[in-house]
Amino acid sequence: MKRQKRFEALKKRPIHKDTFVDEWPDEGFVAMMGPNDPKPSIKVENGVITEMDGKKREDFDLIDLYIAKYAINIDNVEKVMATDSTKIARMLVDPNVSRDEVLKYTSALTPAKAEEVISKLDFGEMIMGVKKMRPRYKPANQCHVTNTVDNPVEIAADAAEAALRGFPEQETTTAVARYAPFNAISILVGSQTGRPGVLTQCSVEEATELQLGMRGFTAYAETISVYGTDRVFTDGDDTPWSKGFLASCYASRGLKMRFTSGAGSEVLMGYPEGKSMLYLEARCILLTKGSGVQGLQNGAVSCISMPGAVPNGLREVLGENLLCMMCDIECASGCDQTFSASDMRRTERFMGQFIGGTDYICSGYAAEDNYDNTFAGSNTDVNDYDDMYVMERDLGQNYGIHPVSEEDVIKIRNKAAKALQAVFDALGLPKITDEEVEAATYANTHDDMPKRDMVADMKAAQNMMDRGITAIDLIKALADNGYPEVAQATLDLQKQKVCGDYLQTSSIFDSKWNVNSAVNNPNTYQGPGTGYRLYEDKDEWKKIKALPWALDPEHLKL
Amino acid sequence: MSEIDDLVKKITQQLGEQSTSAASSKTGATSVPDNMGRNDYPLYGKHRNLVKTPTGKNLDDINLNSIKNDQIKGDEMRITPEALKMQGEIAASAGRPAIQKNFQRAAELTKVPDARLLQMYNALRPYRSSKQDLLDIADELRNKYNAPICAAWFEEAAKYYESRKKLKGDN
Repeated sequence: MKRQKRFEALKKRPIHKDTFVDEWPDEGFVAMMGPNDPKPSIKVENGVITEMDGKKREDFDLIDLYIAKYAINIDNVEKVMATDSTKIARMLVDPNVSRDEVLKYTSALTPAKAEEVISKLDFGEMIMGVKKMRPRYKPANQCHVTNTVDNPVEIAADAAEAALRGFPEQETTTAVARYAPFNAISILVGSQTGRPGVLTQCSVEEATELQLGMRGFTAYAETISVYGTDRVFTDGDDTPWSKGFLASCYASRGLKMRFTSGAGSEVLMGYPEGKSMLYLEARCILLTKGSGVQGLQNGAVSCISMPGAVPNGLREVLGENLLCMMCDIECASGCDQTFSASDMRRTERFMGQFIGGTDYICSGYAAEDNYDNTFAGSNTDVNDYDDMYVMERDLGQNYGIHPVSEEDVIKIRNKAAKALQAVFDALGLPKITDEEVEAATYANTHDDMPKRDMVADMKAAQNMMDRGITAIDLIKALADNGYPEVAQATLDLQKQKVCGDYLQTSSIFDSKWNVNSAVNNPNTYQGPGTGYRLYEDKDEWKKIKALPWALDPEHLKL
Repeated sequence: MSEIDDLVKKITQQLGEQSTSAASSKTGATSVPDNMGRNDYPLYGKHRNLVKTPTGKNLDDINLNSIKNDQIKGDEMRITPEALKMQGEIAASAGRPAIQKNFQRAAELTKVPDARLLQMYNALRPYRSSKQDLLDIADELRNKYNAPICAAWFEEAAKYYESRKKLKGDN
């Protein structure tokens, strides 16, 4: 066929690099309300759920058993299940209905009923629902701090800069697993240098991650994955009971934690049992609720290419974020893994979460060039910072970060690199040279850094664990070597672990270690004139209005 | 422990007492209120004197000097069962009973050493344990660590792992 020139031009647009597939319900390629999804039903006998979503108790798998026992308010369930799903959906957008009133219904939903309620909402209505149902008053954001050679000095500098830009939670992971202890202490020292009160995590294998937390190197954990089918859960090497127990293990050490789930994981792992992504995710959300875990990272997360490929996919993704909030769970709403070559579609990806405002709009904004992102790249990275500030300024809408001056960034990166240098020196770890400190201060990617002896680093990291080094040793090293304020911040974090305030839903800290959570600062949105608004948040709005490259009209030369 | 908490709560309510009195929410109160509520939160700001480290130190007594002088050990900065109990009451008072249950399990687990805790977690993973293995851990939790809620958790898992084929050899 002779090509029509406009079609030829369109074919070259970035959107054509993305993959799209037709719906295929039997293999789980359907966003919501798939033809094989169960119909909502409930039967309670003597205080026990004996039938749920068309399945009898003897046919329940482990996930059904767990949800039926731990996740559903049995006192309310018959009433809620008898309520029209459209009516419950309307409550989400109705300014006459409070968040607390909605929770009376949403605490007694079965997975199929939850799916049905969400499916009644279009994208704009979901945004309205998010505005009301987010647990914390003010939205925030979370970033990734990584580089592909696990350079500790660069991690510390990037963490400090990200803290200054406003991220209250930061997540690192490793390119090489054995580096984990170094990455954990580098992001800890860097972030506390940038702004006291930042929470950090190191996403690695479950047992190692818990161990790092027990040492005081990390403040929270997030990659505790749960899945919507029994087969995939088992393949993920866990059961609802093991994950529920792990949740209690974290709490027993004073560590904040959230589970991770999201659309598409069951399809990717091969056993969606012919169910839609939203139905399976509803099971994950209820399982999280039942475990008494305060938060969930969901919204497809690293599996975003799956819902991204099918009709209604990104609507489903926002829907599952909303359902998480409707279950009164802190939501770190995805918007992390890169999935589209199109800048327009990258923007579309976070629009609902951004405008609605979630507890953490991204569960991983790349606070490094995506080239250095070891989570396989994020939807937005450091190169998008200025675009994001402009969007916040244009719309008067909080994205949780704000402009910073180049001078301040240079200063804080330098300080973080030096503080880590002092720690490495005091703990007898492989030397961080002045040349490395200087490079990290001005670096954009790891290519700007001198090469380190990675074998020596990995050995030292293991040795540090073998020697029983803990956060107390870090604090001592910082205090003894000229960084008392970083030492104090790191100590204050350890005190918070003893206290446990940040185990409550949606907790973050300000720079004075005042906790800000759904308990003491709950979302009060109930229509116009209520709830958080960026343009009424004086300090933050001032920072966002003051775009460093905006023209000053008083000094314009016309 | 959860049953006892429930019972105490019921009795307290019958006596017509408020779960959180205004007096108890002031920093400086010396006795632990019977039941914490959301107005007692944050504990750090409102009840710091009630929060201790596992060896009974006050948070205000831990500072850079005490660390410089090696008075604080690496495992000193841990949450205690008492703090978890208070946080659980706060969570329940804020409408989140499932979180309280999690903290009740966690409070029991504070006594289990790190390495043993990791082994117990691994034992609950699919196909790792026989039914007897899980019941033995339940016994250990109940008798060695005085952890009846967690013991029941393992017993429940043992029951369902058997019927849903997640025990050692079922794969």
